[in-house]
Amino acid sequence: MADDSNTHEEELFEEEEVDETNFRAVKDAVLFAIDISSSMLTPRPSNNPKKPGEESPASAALKCAYHLMQQRIISNPKDMMGVLLYGTRLSKSYDADEESGADLSHPHCYLFTDLNIPLAQDVKDLRALAENDEEFHKILQPSDEPVSMANVLFCANQIFTSRASNFLSRRLFIVTDNDNPHANNEQLRKASAVRARDLYDLGVTIELFPISRPDQEFDTSKYYYDIIYKAEPCDGEAPVYLQRESKSSAQGDGIELLNSLLSSINSRSVAKRSLFSKIPLEIGPNLKVSVNGYLLLKRQQPARSCYVWLGGETPEIAQGTTALLADDTAHTVEKSETRKAYKFGGGQVYFTPDELTVLRDFGEPVIRIIGFKSLDSLPIWANVKHPTFIYPTEEDYIGSTRVFSALQQKLLKDNKLALVWFIPRKKAVPVLGAMIAGDEQIDENGIQKLPPGMWIIPLPFADDVRKNPPGADFTPAPEPLIDAMKEVLGQLQLPKGVYDPVKYPNPSLQWHYRILQAIALDEDLPEQPDDKTIPKYRQIDKRAGEYVLKWSAELDAHSEKLFGGSAAPSSTLVKRGPRASTDSDQPAKRVKVEIGASDVDGEIKKNMEKGTLSKLTVAILKEFLTSHGRSAAGKKADLIERVEQYFEEKS
Amino acid sequence: MADKEATVYIVDLGRSMGEKRHGRTITDLDWAMQYVWDKITNTVIRGRKTDLAGFIALRTDDTMNDYQEDDSFSNISVLSGLKQILTPDIRKLQEAIKPSRTYKGDAISALVLAIQMITAQCKKLKYKREIVLVTNGTGLINSEGLDQIKEKIEEDNITLKIVGPDFDDPESGVKEEDKDERKAQNETLLRDFIATLPENGIFGTLESAISELDIPRIKEVKHMASFKGFLSLGNAGEYETAIRIPVERYAKTMVAKPPTASSYVLRSGNEPGEGVDPATAQAPVEWESLVTIRTSRTYQVADESAPGGKADVEREELAKGYEYGRTVVPITEMDENITTLTTFAGMEIIGFVANDKYARYLQMGNVNILIASKGNQKGSLALSSFIHALFEAESYAVARLVTKESKPPMPVLLAPCLESDFEGLLEIQLPFAEDLRAYQFPPLDKVVTVSGKIVTEHRNLPNDALQDAMSQYVDSMELDLKDDDGDIIDEVPIDYSYSPLLHRLQSAVRWRAINPNGAIAEPSATLTKFSHPDEELVKKSQAELEGLIAAADVKKVLPKAKGRKRTRETEKPLSGLDVDALLNLEPKRAKISAENAIPEFKQLLSRADTVDSIRDAVKQMVHIIEEQIKYSLGDSNYQRVVEGLGTIREELVEYEEPAIYNDLLPTLKEKMLSGRLDGDRMELWWLIRKGKLGLIDQNESESSFVSEEEATKFLAAV
Repeated sequence: MADDSNTHEEELFEEEEVDETNFRAVKDAVLFAIDISSSMLTPRPSNNPKKPGEESPASAALKCAYHLMQQRIISNPKDMMGVLLYGTRLSKSYDADEESGADLSHPHCYLFTDLNIPLAQDVKDLRALAENDEEFHKILQPSDEPVSMANVLFCANQIFTSRASNFLSRRLFIVTDNDNPHANNEQLRKASAVRARDLYDLGVTIELFPISRPDQEFDTSKYYYDIIYKAEPCDGEAPVYLQRESKSSAQGDGIELLNSLLSSINSRSVAKRSLFSKIPLEIGPNLKVSVNGYLLLKRQQPARSCYVWLGGETPEIAQGTTALLADDTAHTVEKSETRKAYKFGGGQVYFTPDELTVLRDFGEPVIRIIGFKSLDSLPIWANVKHPTFIYPTEEDYIGSTRVFSALQQKLLKDNKLALVWFIPRKKAVPVLGAMIAGDEQIDENGIQKLPPGMWIIPLPFADDVRKNPPGADFTPAPEPLIDAMKEVLGQLQLPKGVYDPVKYPNPSLQWHYRILQAIALDEDLPEQPDDKTIPKYRQIDKRAGEYVLKWSAELDAHSEKLFGGSAAPSSTLVKRGPRASTDSDQPAKRVKVEIGASDVDGEIKKNMEKGTLSKLTVAILKEFLTSHGRSAAGKKADLIERVEQYFEEKS
Repeated sequence: MADKEATVYIVDLGRSMGEKRHGRTITDLDWAMQYVWDKITNTVIRGRKTDLAGFIALRTDDTMNDYQEDDSFSNISVLSGLKQILTPDIRKLQEAIKPSRTYKGDAISALVLAIQMITAQCKKLKYKREIVLVTNGTGLINSEGLDQIKEKIEEDNITLKIVGPDFDDPESGVKEEDKDERKAQNETLLRDFIATLPENGIFGTLESAISELDIPRIKEVKHMASFKGFLSLGNAGEYETAIRIPVERYAKTMVAKPPTASSYVLRSGNEPGEGVDPATAQAPVEWESLVTIRTSRTYQVADESAPGGKADVEREELAKGYEYGRTVVPITEMDENITTLTTFAGMEIIGFVANDKYARYLQMGNVNILIASKGNQKGSLALSSFIHALFEAESYAVARLVTKESKPPMPVLLAPCLESDFEGLLEIQLPFAEDLRAYQFPPLDKVVTVSGKIVTEHRNLPNDALQDAMSQYVDSMELDLKDDDGDIIDEVPIDYSYSPLLHRLQSAVRWRAINPNGAIAEPSATLTKFSHPDEELVKKSQAELEGLIAAADVKKVLPKAKGRKRTRETEKPLSGLDVDALLNLEPKRAKISAENAIPEFKQLLSRADTVDSIRDAVKQMVHIIEEQIKYSLGDSNYQRVVEGLGTIREELVEYEEPAIYNDLLPTLKEKMLSGRLDGDRMELWWLIRKGKLGLIDQNESESSFVSEEEATKFLAAV
């Protein structure tokens, strides 16, 4: 049976994002450094009369941090996060004696959440702080004397050094409304520039989230250009790409500020990890440029369950190890002793390890263009997995970016695609791909939603395409019926006529973690999930209801004309009031099971009321359950129980 | 699943089959067997008990069949009755299939035997019946009773294939010069006989039969509905205006998996000594000596009192749970499904989108197709109106799909699929918010500078000449695809591009099954057809390509240039402030401090003007690393050590001083493994190995004296 998730594990194996050349752990650590000054703590009212309320920049920043922490637990469960408040009256960092005896006290730096994979308690505390809970009132007090930025940066340095050793990605998010902290103290300013250089040399990227003050635009060039280095130190040739951040740091309005900050932080929440790097894109024989590949689209799944040992003080995960045993002697077998063989004719066909390597070898990694075709030549069904995004790099070929850009622009302009032979990495199996150009898309806050570049869509091979299923004889619908349906469609366009993934969080994924969070914090379980994928029924009824009725009448008429009395007595239209179900009503569905003149729903309901469900046949029970989207597996008793449950829920 | 199959092969083993003709290097028999083995192994690899094959040898020295008393059945041997063919059968057949010393034996009698075998086995059951006769047609053929045979073949619906080397075939242009007179007669006889069987007979020359083997065969998969339920618009439970159309869902695309190998181990006793000797690992092994492997899983938790710091726990003692961040959340058996969202099966329409605004590259996963439930004419009519309405309105529907109760919902796109004899809805998986990663990339048509200025002329942007050259090249490389019959294809090639790994592995397995010691062949040309652009096309667009190359002016970065220490320019902040000057003012930075080691090490190096000062900086750094190892409680400092060591290595490669690293590493390794850095540091060495922080070899740095082999050996040795 087809299962949509069955390829998941293999894909994980195939597509793990690895940096083959680096000794560093492919992990990301984000440390929030939030400025706690009196101006940051001053609430700003909302200008929007529809959404009253007020928000201080500090509180907005904390809410963003809280939001990001929750999000990262789901999307990057192995990555670290911490929250450092600075400019506070209180100070808290590592104890002076904790790390090799050095003096590590950092005045007016308050490490609220230590850099680590968050605990449920960290999430709770951060939420309380963001909501300005009494408990944490004394923390959010600005210090009387100014904080030294050099100190803040060195404090961050120490946190990264000790907590996120050897991480490939370490990022310091600074949220502040002060564009010139040491305007009158050249000494401190220089000292902070040196500490910033330390961070750069340590491999820490500083990302600034500037907030303009109501009376003054944030000017990054005053101070922060001395602190921030080019975004991608690994690719020195790449042009500087600045976010349109000046736009996002809204002036004045508190709510707008929160939203733009959220959007801006979300857009940089994930550390960019490449799927492969420096692969040649062969545009023609003797013309190669180099590109990096990224996985921008990947189905996010809840982390798998694990086994937990409850014998200790706190629950602990039991680490499983798998041993290989020879079937004849039950002796343990080392991985290096195993041989691979294929089953054939009741025995095995064996190849040497070298031969197996040869068999899988189709050449070096490459994206080779074998020609161009119109975009229309790509059928919408020609899809088997998510695409790979590619973007040029100057690392192997100088001039890659401009050539790539010329190609991308040409394909965009003429609606063309390139057919490519694609081997993403060493020993990978080649696929034939359609490479199509993607244009940059910007959201309302000026933040990039989709990057400019090219996407390689792996095409199915002839082996991967199934024949159309043998369907029932179909009757193409007559024009009036089609027109009636078109009226219905016309009423129900999604906003702007597009599907925007950002508007649809995965409800089961969110629910899974929401429940875990509640259990971990010993909170009450939430009752209702927030499921944005559930259609807006009321709106559908209001907008399209009248057209649906017209279509239905049309359908009945045509059905009568075409099939006459021989038509299956099934209506596709549900003519039932919420509670007024009677036998005379048309049933929602009837396919094979026919029970006299009555219908399944009515029959079930009648027997339900009389308490005689057990007299019904299994077929009818199953049909009823299936038609209501319920599982129809199990014994008769299970089916009856589920039917009863259905009516319980309804009442 | 496909039908059961019963195939009888009749192979001519006559003396003349042992001859090599027309300059071929193999005998007629070996050549014919290429075809026969391919057909047989193709059946065997499917591994179905219901695929039967029988084997009759024609013109054998002996006679071995049920009618052997009858003279007309002499020199015919049944080598194998109808059964599932397994590897031992193949071996037995291989033994038996040798050219005989006789010219006698009647092909038509063998055909009668084959029909008898099929009739006896299949009776009136549902089977795909086939007889394959391979002969060079030089024997005596008795045409008596062909009428009855024809009747029987048609009655039982048996497919009869007659194939022979150098049979004349106008279609493929094969015409044998100086054809033997008897062969010519026999060919005519057999061809005419096949001509009387328009539905059931195939007559062909071996040449084309063998060349067709190259075209991969595609396995058909039985249609199984993965969802039967309703496509609905609105909530039928609450509104009278809801639509519910019963539909069934089938796969449209699904990746066909290549055969997977299983793990085995050599039968104990066959293993020469400890471990695996590389020589034997490469030697061919007979499959009889392989033993299957099973797995056993054990669980451990941290326990300081236990040896090794870990204690075994029984699987039964463990609860199920999940991680929420670093917090472990055990779930009791009762609450097992507590984190599962309650859902009910259904396909519910959320809304409609315009197809011209649809981003084709935001599709994930395989595609399914929806059709109306069978036997519901009205439902079919309703679905048809929906499909046509989508098509005419140039729209797609977005829906929420739950395939089974309690399964997670999934957003899908529904697109009309209208073919001459088929209507359906294509269902394509769409991403959720969480599935889309917001990686940001600079624009490709402009450059934004530090000051926020937008520049449209830059070395990273194509100038007009390059744009123009690209445009001409792309136009010149337009693909005119033709299918096998020479018809033009408008779509991207799918129907005649084949999964390279799947078919390569399958043919290798089948080839190896017949030739246990044969070398494996290159992938067939059919599989790599699309690995390079068509030669004609390349020739045609040569001028455009040259123009593009000139306009592009792409230069390969030389390996040596990559190794150079990056320029100082990039180490300045955006403002261009000279931080190095500031650093020079800090006298205490001459000595690397432990708590800020990596930055200070790098800065010291960047100021170093002699090899000695580089050496000194490295020495300080190594000292710090050794201290970190010494004071590491268990593995607490290991990641820091790896980072420090990795940084030293990286920097020394860039400064082209690999010797300094290659000198220090053996000493450090020795100290670590001998326990002189306070205890057992084996695990740390393992991490260093994993991080590939071994000696710097000549591939990595030209100035290294260490060969790749030495480096590998050093890293592996303990």
